[in-house]
Amino acid sequence: MAPSVERLFTAASTIEEALAARRQGAAVLAGGTWMMRDPRRGVDLPEAVVALHRIPALSKVEIEPDHIVIGAAVTHAVLGRALHGAAGFEGLVAAAEGAANPGIRRVATVGGNLCALDFAAADLAPVLLVCEATVELETFEGPKLLGISDFLKGRHTLLTKAIVTRIHLRRDLIASAHIRLPLRKAGDYPVAIVSLAVDKDKRCRIAVGSVEPVARRWTALEQAMEAGPACALDPERAAGLALEHNDFQGRDGKEAEGWYRRQVLPPLVKRGVAALLKTEGLA
Amino acid sequence: MTVTFRLNGEDCRFHGDPMTPLVDILRQERFLTGTKAVCREGFCGACTVHVDDEAMPSCLKPVGLVQGCAVTTIEGLSSGNQAPHPLQANFEAADAVQCGMCFPGMVMSLSAFVRDNPHASRPEIKAAMVGNICRCTGYERIVDAVADCLDQARKAGQSVGGINV
Repeated sequence: MAPSVERLFTAASTIEEALAARRQGAAVLAGGTWMMRDPRRGVDLPEAVVALHRIPALSKVEIEPDHIVIGAAVTHAVLGRALHGAAGFEGLVAAAEGAANPGIRRVATVGGNLCALDFAAADLAPVLLVCEATVELETFEGPKLLGISDFLKGRHTLLTKAIVTRIHLRRDLIASAHIRLPLRKAGDYPVAIVSLAVDKDKRCRIAVGSVEPVARRWTALEQAMEAGPACALDPERAAGLALEHNDFQGRDGKEAEGWYRRQVLPPLVKRGVAALLKTEGLA
Repeated sequence: MTVTFRLNGEDCRFHGDPMTPLVDILRQERFLTGTKAVCREGFCGACTVHVDDEAMPSCLKPVGLVQGCAVTTIEGLSSGNQAPHPLQANFEAADAVQCGMCFPGMVMSLSAFVRDNPHASRPEIKAAMVGNICRCTGYERIVDAVADCLDQARKAGQSVGGINV
């Protein structure tokens, strides 16, 4: 066991208390599955931490007819259970129920998944991109709402003076899917992740995680698919377009090299479209 | 900082760094060495314990987060004076245990699973143990034993760990 350290540990019971600790330099601790591995990465644990698990408002999933609000401290396991059967959110359920392993899913939180800055293989990032989620932050200047895409691009700076509190989703999807390619069934990070969704206007949204350092929408493929015929949701055709419009720069990592991450995308798109077509909304 | 929690039904008080992994306190302060610290990354499952009845890796659990919680380790699942947990009895009967390194974690993960999923299918049992790695690769016998355990409980109309099946 490491020698005893004088560390400041605050279990905040309100968002205000958490923000006050953050102002004084405390790092935010959610489930701990990322931060607790800092020493394995050669990084010291923070000298001051503020835990969010005792803030009731952050541990709730609110499901309304037209929108869903997910607290940042909701675990993957709770999220998967809460949204099971919610039409259009099949992809989000698959991401929550397929990430890591069952033990981790009972601990790792939505907020932690989105705020772990160096974690390229976060399952929730691409699926929340296709849900066009809005991220609610509590900043030193007050509350702030930001689109997930802008949040992911700017989170390095944003999170120096803010805490993610909730994720807001509109219920405007008719179907979604989440396809991940780990090297084994569990226990390693996915080489690549493709999330897809179809909205009420029949527009297809596609996002990719784990291939580049930060998940992003695949707009080139979305535009190519939109330009096609109305029956564009064909797995083979989608895979062909994915090959043609593959504009990703794969990152090298210990699970896989960049070229491989990039190369597996068309087959994953094919699987994703096939999964979309099996959902209740499109079947 | 002082952290207090229930450990195998008894009060436990820890003075020290609240970011200490729970597994280190279990093993080094409480000498509950059934919980194994193997990968320390949440991948192998050997350190699995129950926190408020949920199975989770203790290597990634800072003790500060278990303040006020109930922690159960393999030693608390069934003491030597009691009959073993039905799952343990089935593992023994099926001779499923090989080197034993993964087994406390396996039992802790699967005991919570059979309690919550009395009608689990074989694929569901396999899905429940993907976070518990057995280097002896004795998976099939483990799955057989879990399936037998659930089957016996269903036939007897009994429960596995608290819930009637």
